[in-house]
Amino acid sequence: MLECCLSPQEQFIQDQLEGKENHLRKQRAHARAFRILDRISGLTPKVDVQRGRLFTESMRETEGQPLVLRWAKAMMHIAKNIEVYIDDDQLLAGRAGAQGRYGILYPELDGDFLDVAIEQLSEREVSPFIVDPEDARIIVEEIAPYWKGKTYHEALAKALPEETLPLTYRPENVLESRYIVNETSSFRSSLQWVHDYEKVLKRGFGGIKKEAQEKLAALDPFSPDDNVRKKPFLEAVILVCDAIILWANRHADLAARMAQTETDPERKKELEQIAEICRHVPEHPARNFREAMQSQWFTQMFSRLEQKTGTIISNGRMDQYLYPYYKADVEAGVLDEEQAIELFECMWVGMAQFIDLYLSPTGGAFNEGYAHWEAVTIGGQTKDGRDATNDLTYLLLRSKREFPLHYPDLAARIHARSPKRYLWEVAETIKEGSGFPKLINDEEVIPLHLSKGATFEEIYDYAVSGCAEVRMPNRDTYTSGCAYINYAAALEMALYGGRMLKYGDEVIGLPTADPTRFATWDEFWSAYLAQQLNLIKHAFIQQKIIIDLRARHFATPLGSALHDLCMENCIDLHQPKIEGGIDLGYFECIGYATVVDSLAAIKKLVFEEKKVGMAELLEALRNNFQGREDLRAMLRNCPSYGNNDPYADEIAKEIDRQSVEFTKKYAKEVGVHLDLRYVPFTSHVPFGKVVSATPNGRLAYTPLSDGSSASQGSDVNGPTAILMSNFMSKNYNYRERAARLLNIKFTPGCVAGDEGTEKLVSFIKTWCDLRLWHIQFNIINRETLLAAQKNPERYRNLIVRIAGYSAYFCDLSKDLQDDLIARTGHTQI
Amino acid sequence: MSAQTDRNTKGILFNIQKYSVHDGPGIRTILFLKGCSLRCRWCSNPESQSAAPELAFNRDKCLGEEHCQRCHHVCRNQALGVAQDGKMVWNPDDCRQCHACAEACPNKALIVYGYETTVDQALRRVEEDEAFYSRSGGGVTLSGGEPLVQAEFAMALLREAKRRRIHTCIETCGMVPWNVLREAAQYLDHVLYDVKLADSEKHRMATGAGNEVILENLRRLRREFPDLPITVRTPVIPGINDTPEDIRAIAEIVREVGGMDYELLGYHRMGTPKYVYLGRSYELTEPNLDEGRLEELRALARKVLESGKEAPRGLCA
Repeated sequence: MLECCLSPQEQFIQDQLEGKENHLRKQRAHARAFRILDRISGLTPKVDVQRGRLFTESMRETEGQPLVLRWAKAMMHIAKNIEVYIDDDQLLAGRAGAQGRYGILYPELDGDFLDVAIEQLSEREVSPFIVDPEDARIIVEEIAPYWKGKTYHEALAKALPEETLPLTYRPENVLESRYIVNETSSFRSSLQWVHDYEKVLKRGFGGIKKEAQEKLAALDPFSPDDNVRKKPFLEAVILVCDAIILWANRHADLAARMAQTETDPERKKELEQIAEICRHVPEHPARNFREAMQSQWFTQMFSRLEQKTGTIISNGRMDQYLYPYYKADVEAGVLDEEQAIELFECMWVGMAQFIDLYLSPTGGAFNEGYAHWEAVTIGGQTKDGRDATNDLTYLLLRSKREFPLHYPDLAARIHARSPKRYLWEVAETIKEGSGFPKLINDEEVIPLHLSKGATFEEIYDYAVSGCAEVRMPNRDTYTSGCAYINYAAALEMALYGGRMLKYGDEVIGLPTADPTRFATWDEFWSAYLAQQLNLIKHAFIQQKIIIDLRARHFATPLGSALHDLCMENCIDLHQPKIEGGIDLGYFECIGYATVVDSLAAIKKLVFEEKKVGMAELLEALRNNFQGREDLRAMLRNCPSYGNNDPYADEIAKEIDRQSVEFTKKYAKEVGVHLDLRYVPFTSHVPFGKVVSATPNGRLAYTPLSDGSSASQGSDVNGPTAILMSNFMSKNYNYRERAARLLNIKFTPGCVAGDEGTEKLVSFIKTWCDLRLWHIQFNIINRETLLAAQKNPERYRNLIVRIAGYSAYFCDLSKDLQDDLIARTGHTQI
Repeated sequence: MSAQTDRNTKGILFNIQKYSVHDGPGIRTILFLKGCSLRCRWCSNPESQSAAPELAFNRDKCLGEEHCQRCHHVCRNQALGVAQDGKMVWNPDDCRQCHACAEACPNKALIVYGYETTVDQALRRVEEDEAFYSRSGGGVTLSGGEPLVQAEFAMALLREAKRRRIHTCIETCGMVPWNVLREAAQYLDHVLYDVKLADSEKHRMATGAGNEVILENLRRLRREFPDLPITVRTPVIPGINDTPEDIRAIAEIVREVGGMDYELLGYHRMGTPKYVYLGRSYELTEPNLDEGRLEELRALARKVLESGKEAPRGLCA
């Protein structure tokens, strides 16, 4: 049965288009969020210059001092001077910039080209921003000039060895990425990260400050190390605690002032409450659920002011650290579910207004379309290994179903004993929402991290962070952005003796032999492998340089204040070596299935069946298959990854094994774990733009395959086969592996009704059994079918399943497709 | 039969479909067996009807003679021509079904419906998704065509599946000799049983055969295998069986036989392209079934079945 399946977002838009009143709008839990959304919807985001200006002002004054202290002083300068706001109707206070939708500036990252970028910002087609002319002047005349010659990005370009640089940037213009061995450390100050929010709720920044003061008092006054290293660190912690407390109190002052002039008695009371709460948290421990929410929100917003954390600072295990407050309030009769939902929505609308602004072309390409991964984690296990679900878990799932925007990014931890109700509600939320929550598998994550040195207690308590990664907030210590490696570029280099068509005659990789001279598959494979390992080698060289360099450019006093090991060792989190920490870095494989399918096609058609000559293949590739549609069709019909076909999956496994074997051997020289990961953000699109036609039939400069998913449209055996290909291609005997991102498409018919939910639950349980790291579902809707009609090539795998029959959507005639599209909107088949 | 004989028994499949969620409990793999004992006018799997492998041509996928003439080079029977737009034309009447052209076609515009396989090969494919069956209670479903037309193959598949602890289900039209159905039932965990019409004459008009055997088989199956779950299914076809009278009559049979689930399936025209590929034409010109109408018929069927439950047993006889 195929039935209508609009996600809440789509329903929301649909209702608006039809002028219909959203039924949620009138409900007590949602009315407030709708009022706020009405005011911000349709506004183009604007750039708020304050953070960039104030940060620069302070850094200008503190040159030469210890970096962590400079950073804390800058935070204090921001806290004192940045405009504070209390939004109408909001219950939570705390913004990092102007009202409406906004983005803020981090000139320490992109100051060297900020002036140029800002002029292009309002004109860019994708995700434009408004810049006020006076603000533009400040940026061009005051902020950008200070940073020229000082940014990390410039320093990195200068530090890269001669052979590594051309794989990273275009040597003549280092602002242009090559998208081959792509560093990601220069468009963010930190890897995706999660704070130990529980620490703030329980102790308050007042408590953390006290700890720092005690440590400061206990330093050995004669010790050079204590004086030079520990003292400024502790002073920075004290200062940053003072800064966030001050910032919160300025909100309290504003709320109190607004209350005095407020005429609506109800709002007046709310403002008075806000004033009282902001006076108390985050300085002191939270006394109730509302204060816990406010304290957490201040922490994450101040953290956003402090630095650009990759894909936005994550929210941690909200159903765990908030639960004691929720439970106590509910038991005391001062809080009900509707009020809790209302507070959550106040936070989600706050998130929805902050846009993660990327100015660099590379950063933008990695995060297309206002991307955000502020991961709220639910479920999983408690520190002692019991199931962790509670009432708040279910309330967060409910909120995900009911809140009309794509916020927050919700992540559900699944384990072998996850209760039926949890799995059921997760499945229902996936069905009714837009595929969220994404799922992370305890059965893969936990044993893997134990083998990397975590304790049971730490890893049972992990939080999801960013896209698909996980964090142990007091044990993880690695923050350097890591390399994204274009495996499809390695393949192209094997075809053209180290060259890529995009870059002409430049020998950019290894000068491997002309493949037309290869007599056997093994020779070709060796050439490919040499290119692959060469790229990984340069990724590791890059990373070694990055680690040392970043420590001289970035500090995070707030992040460090919340980290047990940083406090214990009196060292900033961005420093390379923190005693007792586990440094979990990675390197990224981009274009996995593109490469596997290409290699499988070459092996089969050129070397085994000899149906196609290598010279013939190369000519067709150079011409982007023009006039060789027949050859392209043959290539596309070869065995491919994602179909549980051992022919392709064995190649996939060997590519994976060679990568993990390399890191097993060399990561220790870099001093951190650098584990193999398959999580592309949206980078498979820009990476595809540098790779010419590939032997899997992919056209030149089109997107590469995504994560560990199959090539676009080539997984024609259904979702179980995709899972099995993933399972079969992993090297479970190595610990040098990290996240694999996996997207699965479902037609609504597959999951309709209770029976559909039941089957989705069993599918998830099997995914858990297979110890795959991550999975996210896309529920196909009318828009997808329309897109498939337009671009059948990309949707060859879209199966329309109907009882007793199933068809590939793209095989149906136009009128049947139209028929199906028409039905998907409103009815059943 | 020995296990080894069963494993090596051969038959003709025309498709294997993984992740089936609508044909039996749990997540299943469907083996589609070629050949059918009925000729339903609305059949959505026309490639299932004839027992032998057969050629089909999807014109949309043909690259045209400008790009490719591989099929022309291999055809020995002048069964292929060229249309004005350069695409290939297939004349089924001249075709001797050697299938060399399908082998040569790079884009699968020419394909063969049906291939020979052994029980072992087929069940290996089924077992690839074992991890999903154990969590969902799924397994293998034999479908077709009418899977019991290839009785020896179907029986070997079912016996061997049971040896391998795979949950078994069949989708049958019931138009098979009773002894065949009875034997299959011994190895089945679930039966999906089509009843298209209660009136035998109308049944003959619509499917080419009367329904006496089908209904008698259903009754005997229920009687002799009282613990075997049976789901009766009716595809509701506009102009064939979409009146309240038609559905009421079938529902009454289901009630009378007792102890079975009953489902109505909506009609769809998704099989039409395959008729064109096979060089045949689709007879049914009726529009799609109105969704509201299907829901009304479902409600009616439920009512009929429930009326049976409420009636005191004594009065029923």
